[in-house]
Amino acid sequence: MSKRNTRGVVALCALALAAAPLSVAHADAAKDVQVAGRALTFLENGPTGKAVLGVVFDPSKPASVAEKNAVMAAIGGGMSAGAVTLTAKPVEASAVPGVSGVAALYVTTGVNVGAAAKAKKIITIGSDTSCATSGACVMSVSADPKVEIVVNRAAAAAVGAVFKAAFRMMIREV
Amino acid sequence: MKKTLLAGVSATFILSMAATAAHAQSIDYGAMEQLFNEPVTTSATGSPQRSTEVPVAMEIISADDIKRSGAVDLPTILSRVAGLDVLNWGAGASDVSVRGYDQAMSPRLLVLINGRQVYLDHYGYTAWATLPVQLSEIRQIEVVKGPNSALFGFNAVGGVVNIITQNPKFDSAGSINLTGGTNGYGELSVVKSVKLGDRFFARLSAGAAQMDEYGRAGSTVLASQVTDPARVSANLDTITQLTEKTELRVEGSWSNVQVSEAVSNYSYSPSKYVTTSVKATLASDTKLGLLQASAYETNLTAKQLVASQQARFENKLDVVSVQDLFKIGAQHTFRIGGEYRKNEVNTAPLAGGQLSYEVVSVSGMWNWAISDKLAVTAAGRYDDLSLSREGTFPAGYPAVTNAYWDRSIKKASYNFGAVYRPTQADTFKLTAARGVQVPTLVDLGAVQLRATAGPYTVGVIGNPTLAPSIVTNYEIGYERPLPGLDAKAGVSVFRQKTEDVKGQPTSGQIDVMPTAPGVLPLLSYRNIGDSKMWGVELTASGKIEGGFHWSGDWTFTDVDDEAAAGFSPQVRLAAFSATTPETRANVSFGWANAQWAADGFFHYTGDHKAYLSTGALVSVEDYVTLGGRVARTFDHGITLAVSGQNLTDGHQRQTAGLEVERRAFVTLSKAW
Repeated sequence: MSKRNTRGVVALCALALAAAPLSVAHADAAKDVQVAGRALTFLENGPTGKAVLGVVFDPSKPASVAEKNAVMAAIGGGMSAGAVTLTAKPVEASAVPGVSGVAALYVTTGVNVGAAAKAKKIITIGSDTSCATSGACVMSVSADPKVEIVVNRAAAAAVGAVFKAAFRMMIREV
Repeated sequence: MKKTLLAGVSATFILSMAATAAHAQSIDYGAMEQLFNEPVTTSATGSPQRSTEVPVAMEIISADDIKRSGAVDLPTILSRVAGLDVLNWGAGASDVSVRGYDQAMSPRLLVLINGRQVYLDHYGYTAWATLPVQLSEIRQIEVVKGPNSALFGFNAVGGVVNIITQNPKFDSAGSINLTGGTNGYGELSVVKSVKLGDRFFARLSAGAAQMDEYGRAGSTVLASQVTDPARVSANLDTITQLTEKTELRVEGSWSNVQVSEAVSNYSYSPSKYVTTSVKATLASDTKLGLLQASAYETNLTAKQLVASQQARFENKLDVVSVQDLFKIGAQHTFRIGGEYRKNEVNTAPLAGGQLSYEVVSVSGMWNWAISDKLAVTAAGRYDDLSLSREGTFPAGYPAVTNAYWDRSIKKASYNFGAVYRPTQADTFKLTAARGVQVPTLVDLGAVQLRATAGPYTVGVIGNPTLAPSIVTNYEIGYERPLPGLDAKAGVSVFRQKTEDVKGQPTSGQIDVMPTAPGVLPLLSYRNIGDSKMWGVELTASGKIEGGFHWSGDWTFTDVDDEAAAGFSPQVRLAAFSATTPETRANVSFGWANAQWAADGFFHYTGDHKAYLSTGALVSVEDYVTLGGRVARTFDHGITLAVSGQNLTDGHQRQTAGLEVERRAFVTLSKAW
């Protein structure tokens, strides 16, 4: 193949690649919770075995309720995620100050329980990146189209959460 | 030397034990891979990274890829990686290179097992059959394309192959594989990991294989130059959890092999190798970062036929290294390291001399996550090599003294990489690298022989003034997932320059004329000029509903040798523009369900020239190989597989040496 032809092939491939359709990614509750559960195992003294995830929702927000339902359905009677087996219980946002028996709180989109969770020293996980970047959550996770994990260092420090060093080098910290 | 090693290990041990409030240590590749839904690696920068975010061109071959390859050796697996060239000299010997420049005893590829170098340091090449690893115990094979000297040091100029085995602490492994095949092939391998309590973990593996060598029909190879390949190897890998946060990993290996291989002048040799290695690594997660200290020693006995003379090299390598990996703030990851190595080998085939060098190195890496879209990495390394020679010289050699070998080589290398992700789908990578290929001990003087060239007798000796080859590489790549097709694709363009290419000693050019009556004319290694290369690589892979998967790649390279005045790359056995095929490509298809798996692999290599042992270049037509595997899994972890290689032809010319033959295998495996 001549060099001119080779360059032409390359340019064509690059154009085709850039123009290729990219379907719109959508949140998948089961995948997101999987990532959340596995990420928890990279905490120092993190949970092993059975761990209860409190799914925080605002009953006045249909989207929050829908996400809560999706997460509860995904976890069902138990979801294996690395070294932990997650079970879930729904927690209304207003009930967070009194919550107990949970390894972490999974915060549905549009709900902010950061202050209450910090007071209880409970790790909060959201599927919305802004939850972590704003400091309302310790960590945000999303699985599609690519696993993305964001940890808010200040929020983590506030609840005493310390992630393993290798894990910290592979995620985005803010 | 042993006292030095022990002192180094002890000091670091004490340092690590003194550290307080440590947190964690070795990396659980499996857990990380499951979390991020992609392989992770430390081979790009020394820091753990996701494969899609490394600032180098890299491919990772998974354990499942290896199993489904149906291959019985590593070069076959590597031949299916985009851009890799493999010269198959015989049933048990091959040379592998990245994006061209392949040659007999290829010195441009750094090969490691768990970070321990397994290429043969006295001459910088890899005798793949000597690697003391069973395919079934490999977690992943990490292939870095282009120089990565800033992390790994000398030899990592064409690329790096880092073989990561299962970790006895995290991975429970147990398997036995029995393979029989055509051409008298037989192989048995066993891998078993054990855990004793909560603090001691071990994995033991062993294997043996034998096969008939390819036939000599159609080649100029003599019967005295070949042997039926055979290999036996064993490996022990242990981890002791010293404290909650500190672990000691001790690995030991042994291999004993014989192969028919092409030595660097393209003559065949019935070679025998015995290797041993012991490595200890202490790792601790402290407030100062992930501290790691390691020390290892490898010993090699290589018996080869060099210019029709029996050569026996005894090579000993000791390496001590320390590094600290730490993150500052949210955006900055650093690695600092130091290394000391001593490498020594005797002269051969004519004995009497001993060459050695010591290298002191410092290195550093800085990764800056500037934003969620842009990260840059800069790494550098500085090596200071001191060469020396002891012993006598053969009769008829010029009147030089060992002081002529008192030489120092000081070289810096770097890697720079930027990864830009403007969207969640698009990833751009821009890399620049400078690698140093230091002359080997054989190049520098360990080879000593007297040979006949026509009516004359000449001497061959290494050249202590040989300059390192410097390889600079620039590359831009673009990757994009195609979720609608459940696929991904990428394109990369690269440009590379090698300065001070090493040319081989050849009877076609005398390097040192006789200086007095009775003194032999000498042939030696010389720097013969530069070589430039540019190329393009296209890759794509995907899955199709129903358990199907596919992949394809195409790599184009254009090599242009620029000889220095007075040298001919062809005469010096370094005519890479002729011996590097312009194109190579792979296409694979596979399907699997719970019980069955079927895979097929097509590989294409474009036409190119190849060296005969006479130094003449002959044409090798382009060729296609087909490999494949069909397997059925039964209860109790039992799998029965039928696989084959080079299925398109009974005999196929791939080099100017032995023709590669069709091979078929049946493998019975049990995993537990």
